[in-house]
Amino acid sequence: MSLRDQAGRPSAASKQEENQIDLTPMLDVVFIMLIFFIVTSSFVKEPGIEIFKPQAETTEACLRGTIIFAVDTRGEIYYNKNKLPLDRALRTAEAAKKEAPQANIVIQIDRETPAFAVEELIDTVRPVLTAPPCISTDEA
Amino acid sequence: MRKIAKEQEQDGAEIDLTPMLDVVFIMLIFFIVVASFIKEAGIEVNRPDDNQPEDPNDSVSIVVEIASDGQIWMENRRVDVRAVRANIQRLLAEDPEAPVTVKVEKGAKSGIVVDVADAAREAGVGIVNWASDKG
Repeated sequence: MSLRDQAGRPSAASKQEENQIDLTPMLDVVFIMLIFFIVTSSFVKEPGIEIFKPQAETTEACLRGTIIFAVDTRGEIYYNKNKLPLDRALRTAEAAKKEAPQANIVIQIDRETPAFAVEELIDTVRPVLTAPPCISTDEA
Repeated sequence: MRKIAKEQEQDGAEIDLTPMLDVVFIMLIFFIVVASFIKEAGIEVNRPDDNQPEDPNDSVSIVVEIASDGQIWMENRRVDVRAVRANIQRLLAEDPEAPVTVKVEKGAKSGIVVDVADAAREAGVGIVNWASDKG
């Protein structure tokens, strides 16, 4: 916007500018929203398998539970939509912990999951546990 | 002719923010979509280290055994899933600080472990230990 146009000279250019909406404040708002969403997105990797979680009366939120493993009915471990052999679970958990040091581990299990498979998984990732693992359940 | 040239010059001096706004908008939408506000809910279960020497306090903890066929045993008696809570409450009355240890035999299903852990938490137990029954 030039000063000469603001002075009120009835030129085609000034008329055009009056019709045009100033996008700068909107851009500011959008930028702030963008930064907010970039900062808050914690990029939770979901195991991505369908399971029937057990129900529990005492279900409560898993504090910062963003490292999510799933163990299906056959005892196979899933992380980030991929099947994971047991011996790679620790490395995966370590990598996730490095990315988000505050994160805790959540294990999604099916009612029919062999308990032994869950035990093995917890024992494997034990070195990175900073809090008891959270067994994901549904509210009864 | 001169007028058109002047207008073009003015346009050149001012930066058009619209394409940038487009890009920023697309990024914004991307991050809104990606930011999955997942709130996992569940129960916390402590798993004691098998390699560590037996905790001397373990003798006072309330032990619930789960057999490989899903039967629940407390104090050498078979108890129903629905009776676990009442039994733990009774034992807890004697020692309110006692932790609960669930000894799970190989072959048991996780659902039953969660049921027992839930019953223990309902009874007011602070820590539920998930131990394996090697015997």
